[in-house]
Amino acid sequence: MNSIATYLTVLFTRYKILTLVLAIALIWILFGYLTGGEFLSPRNFSNLLRQMAITGMLASGMVFIIIAGEIDLSVGSLLGLIGGVVAILDAHYHLPVVLTIGLAIGMGGLIGLASGYWVAYLRVPSFIVSLAGMMAYRGVLLGITGGSTIAPVSDNVVLVGQGYLPFVVGDLLGAVLFVVLAVVSLRSRARHRELELPVAPMWQDVAKLAVTALVIIGFVTVLDAYRGVPIPVLVLLVVMGLFTVMANRTVFGRRIYAVGGNLEATRLSGVNVQRVKMLVFGLLGIMCAFAGITTTARLAAGSPSAGTSGELDAIASCFLGGTSMRGGSGTVFGALIGALIMASLDNGMSMLDVDNFWQMIVKGAILLLAVWLDIATGSKR
Amino acid sequence: MAEYLLEMRGIVKEFSGVKAVDGIDLKVRAGEVVALCGENGAGKSTLVKVLSAVHPYGTWSGTILWQGEELKASSIRETERAGIVIIHQELMLVPQLSVAENIFLGHEPTLGAGLIDFETMYARAAQLMAEVGLPEINVALPVSYFGGGQQQLIEIAKALNKNAKLLILDEPSSSLTKTEIDGLLRLIDGLRAKGTACVYISHKLDEVAAIADTVTVIRDGTFVGTAPMAELSVDAIIRMMVGREIKNLYPREAHPVGEVIFEARHVTCYDIDNPARKRVDDVSFTLRHGEILGIAGLIGAGRTELVSTLFGAYPGRSECELFLDGKPIRIESPLRAVANGISMVPEDRKQHGIIPIMAVGHNITLSTLSRFAPRVLIDDDAELQAIHGEINRLSIKTSSPALPMTSLSGGNQQKAVIAKMLLPHPRVLILDEPTRGVDIGAKYEIYKMMFELARNGMSIIMVSSELPEILGISDRVLVIGEGQLRGDFLNDSLTQEQIMAAAITKTPLAA
Repeated sequence: MNSIATYLTVLFTRYKILTLVLAIALIWILFGYLTGGEFLSPRNFSNLLRQMAITGMLASGMVFIIIAGEIDLSVGSLLGLIGGVVAILDAHYHLPVVLTIGLAIGMGGLIGLASGYWVAYLRVPSFIVSLAGMMAYRGVLLGITGGSTIAPVSDNVVLVGQGYLPFVVGDLLGAVLFVVLAVVSLRSRARHRELELPVAPMWQDVAKLAVTALVIIGFVTVLDAYRGVPIPVLVLLVVMGLFTVMANRTVFGRRIYAVGGNLEATRLSGVNVQRVKMLVFGLLGIMCAFAGITTTARLAAGSPSAGTSGELDAIASCFLGGTSMRGGSGTVFGALIGALIMASLDNGMSMLDVDNFWQMIVKGAILLLAVWLDIATGSKR
Repeated sequence: MAEYLLEMRGIVKEFSGVKAVDGIDLKVRAGEVVALCGENGAGKSTLVKVLSAVHPYGTWSGTILWQGEELKASSIRETERAGIVIIHQELMLVPQLSVAENIFLGHEPTLGAGLIDFETMYARAAQLMAEVGLPEINVALPVSYFGGGQQQLIEIAKALNKNAKLLILDEPSSSLTKTEIDGLLRLIDGLRAKGTACVYISHKLDEVAAIADTVTVIRDGTFVGTAPMAELSVDAIIRMMVGREIKNLYPREAHPVGEVIFEARHVTCYDIDNPARKRVDDVSFTLRHGEILGIAGLIGAGRTELVSTLFGAYPGRSECELFLDGKPIRIESPLRAVANGISMVPEDRKQHGIIPIMAVGHNITLSTLSRFAPRVLIDDDAELQAIHGEINRLSIKTSSPALPMTSLSGGNQQKAVIAKMLLPHPRVLILDEPTRGVDIGAKYEIYKMMFELARNGMSIIMVSSELPEILGISDRVLVIGEGQLRGDFLNDSLTQEQIMAAAITKTPLAA
């Protein structure tokens, strides 16, 4: 009994993410029970994922900012500004969708890099730089929209936020993903043998792949039972995959963690820490563009109030997902689970007709408790 | 009255199944100075944390008798009230507050209603500072105004204010100059005469020999022995600490020294806060192929500023002309330095060397990561292979390179930082206090590694405050005093006295 407890403790400390997945499961079971199963229906699952997509996009950029030891309060306003620009380019200038999206992404990236330049090279604290951005971007948005909603946007733009992948394409992407993961796993075994590094037992890799297959099949099946994989969810999943690889397997990713873990030591190791910081802000700017495009597409209009307090949801998601306030640790997957927890709470409580004010109170309390739990269990060492 | 002021018996403290301390006894009489010796990781700090109730009663087993009665403290406040006060290796002073405010932090005398009674506080603080041998200092000045040695004494004054019966000094001298250390030892001697006992934890065995009445040695968490200092020699203590005899701490090997490969001319650094003040004043020197160049001098003489300028890491304004193979090079950042084949292991490991929560392996490859990413992705396996190679080469003791850096002892952290800066295969390696806070075993290994590198043609610049180390390792010695080059000596029949003389004499001595 005792040994099982120890084993579980080790498991949960090593894979912090397990705790989060468990938390999600509990929340879903609770809401599933309270709504008589309605919460767990494929339709609601699809809605839930669509709801979390925008916060998720912001959070997957934000998490690197926090890992690098900075903060960005401007993302909600930047989302709104880019969303507004997309609406104007589409509704007033009728640019082709691809061009509009390209311009939006470029704009997000450049604005992000500019914030990063202020933080990294001009040494203004990121809290201040982004607070200034938060005010100014919203101001620009109000100026260019004249304070009124820009509508209607074209169907092609709407598709980006409200469309679904055809079933066949969704299934195919799932299959491709599995094949890629299987090939990577096999090649890594071969490479380990070649370099005479320890190779994990075959059954472990097979078991991992089997679980992966089950998750992919389950995910696609449930979404297909409604209308297929929503496009914003696909974007989010691709971002998650790319960012996870970036965090773990690229020089830039590793350096973000190093900069957040100890800036001076990283600089003295011959790393251009200022560039790393600036690029991380650029990355977040691009994610703001994605979120802005998706918001305008979802609303089928550019709203001057779009994205208001989006930064708070994104930051809360990161911390719910186990990102360290002091920098140096955190994962994209964790931040997205955090966003999913937030979306589940919103969605579940709305289904239960809980008043909006209660929803806010509950979310605040859960954020506080979750971070406290993390601190209380983490400081035992 | 009990025979011992403090008696710790059979202390055992486990961390998730691993015994950090396993059955240690420590006895201290009133007015006695006991030196606690052991390599890094031997369990000294764990033992001190048990004693001071950082690990409260109940989280460890064994008995602590304080003045003959069992002590069951659950917090530092309780042990401090009993009269056990610890002065940590890293000083716990608030730099912005005044000396007096620091001394009374948490025990401020008040006029009632929460108002601080500044008059009483200043008067008492001045009295305490006189007791620790600094009667002339202004206690209203902020602590940041004073140097390391004086801050150490302020800490002691703070301890005295708490009516300490037992002072525990954890590596008090690691950042002090020779004069400051002498002052500290005199102070401890004076306190002993007044009946205050002291546990003195230090790697510097000459200090132990000078001050201790009794020596207790622990090794790998276990009790090795206690003996009166009078019956021991420094060699005997080292034998007890390492469990083996290190015949010669400095494994000096003959190695060929070639042509000049690196030259620094007119290095000048200006103080960050006071740009008119020169921290390094027009220093020029050369470095040869395969040469180990020691840089000696008092603390604050400008040695660290000098070498960080060479590495492009000096935070303030600096000027210099650098030449590699006779060609001028410009180094405005550590990035450029590494690209030019210059590596530096900084003095302050914690602040500037390690990334604490990052894995040991990832720390090691930090400066060479791009090499393992031929295209976009890092080749994890090639990286891991390189990491294992470095871990074996420098015998870094870790159960897995995936563990965080903080899981290593100080000596192994230092070896990992050295490994990180060796991976770029530098031609010039700068080591700033490479063995500070490192235990004797790891020291020996670092010295051996330095000789091996030099034999293979690397040129090494070593800044050190320990003169035996400078004399035991260097081929040539530069002496820096008040920012100026005061001497450039070949290290044959050079003595500590000659170096000290050069460091404190104004006129430069001829080589």
